[in-house]
Amino acid sequence: MKDEEVDEVLKSSSRAAHEVEPALLKRIADSIHPSLQPVRPLPPTWVLTAALVLICAAVAVTGAARTGFYGIEKLTLAERLLIFTTLGILAWVAGREFVAELIPGSRHRLSPGALLTIASVALLAVFALLFRNYRTEHFVSAGIACLVTGLLLAIPAALLSWLLLRRGFAVNSVSAGLVGGALAGLCGVTMLELHCANFQALHVLVWHTAVVSVSAAAGALLGWALREVATSH
Amino acid sequence: MDPGSNLDILMARYQAGDFAAATALIQRIGPQLHRFFLAQFSSRADADDLLQETWLRIHRVRHTYRPGEPVLPWFYAIARRVRIDHFRRASRTTARERRLEEASEVAVTIPREEGEPDDLEALLAPLSESQREVIRMMKVAGMSLEEVARATSSSVGSVKQKVHRAYRNLREHMSSLGLKKGPSGGLP
Repeated sequence: MKDEEVDEVLKSSSRAAHEVEPALLKRIADSIHPSLQPVRPLPPTWVLTAALVLICAAVAVTGAARTGFYGIEKLTLAERLLIFTTLGILAWVAGREFVAELIPGSRHRLSPGALLTIASVALLAVFALLFRNYRTEHFVSAGIACLVTGLLLAIPAALLSWLLLRRGFAVNSVSAGLVGGALAGLCGVTMLELHCANFQALHVLVWHTAVVSVSAAAGALLGWALREVATSH
Repeated sequence: MDPGSNLDILMARYQAGDFAAATALIQRIGPQLHRFFLAQFSSRADADDLLQETWLRIHRVRHTYRPGEPVLPWFYAIARRVRIDHFRRASRTTARERRLEEASEVAVTIPREEGEPDDLEALLAPLSESQREVIRMMKVAGMSLEEVARATSSSVGSVKQKVHRAYRNLREHMSSLGLKKGPSGGLP
């Protein structure tokens, strides 16, 4: 049997009309009538994405302004360009996917898992290329301090992003949480690159990059908890 | 005329608060969504409830539709979410009842109570649920690969793969039944 024949059988089988009680459709129409007010559609994806990237940049710069721009001062121009261009592209991609997660029927160019993998691998590659000091002084204590700082900064970034997209509707709250968390994590990494002057390769590779995945995991967990609450009654 | 473009206009008027457009959309999309729910192991009463719940949600989030974007994926994405929430609640309720009554043979999914499975559902029976969903969207709702990908929050490649596998399974199933086009064009 050929595909065309299968197609023809499917087409003819799906032609059967499906009846729904007219009273049900009328009941639905009547139920929405009292609250039928004009609504303002959400802005285009690129506008929302640009706003998210600006929010992340503003939060990262504000965070670094409070703690000091020691990291960026120590970086060469080429290093600055490579690190912040990569972070900017990743934030744009994550922002666009976050907008897609909160608008039903949007086009998804990447799955949440692929986004997280690409972001982590890209950061690891850039850091591995730039930082060659393999000493590991105060690896855990300095690392945890950076991880906590990055994650603390991810919180306001996530809150402001949610505020911007509060009129959206997550079709899958776990995916939306994961992508939103990854975006907020990228904001945390940006702030660390502006602030942290510890250029030991393992410190940057492990602890700075971990901010993205830990933040994404926290976002996914929050999304899961919200979904459980919503479907528990 | 492309039916999708007509839906675009109705959706824009619905967003502007036009009750006639809202009613027209309910009349046109309602039966499709009802069939979508009914096909997935639910009873007619469940499908009725799910359709009402879906429209209430559509109404609440109608501002998330942006003019110029495909309409059907937007509707189906919301309908899928409502259906998943329903299954989650149903599984939880069933689990709770099972614990209370100590009954071991309670099915999690709700069996069809009434209504014969139509020709299409009979044909799709050997496919996996995700393959059936994709075929239903394409053949019943007339959506393109790109639109199905949007509705299911997946990539076009993944949808293509599902369709390819579904067709392979259908070819084998139909061949084993000796099934060809019947006199009416449907099942013999």
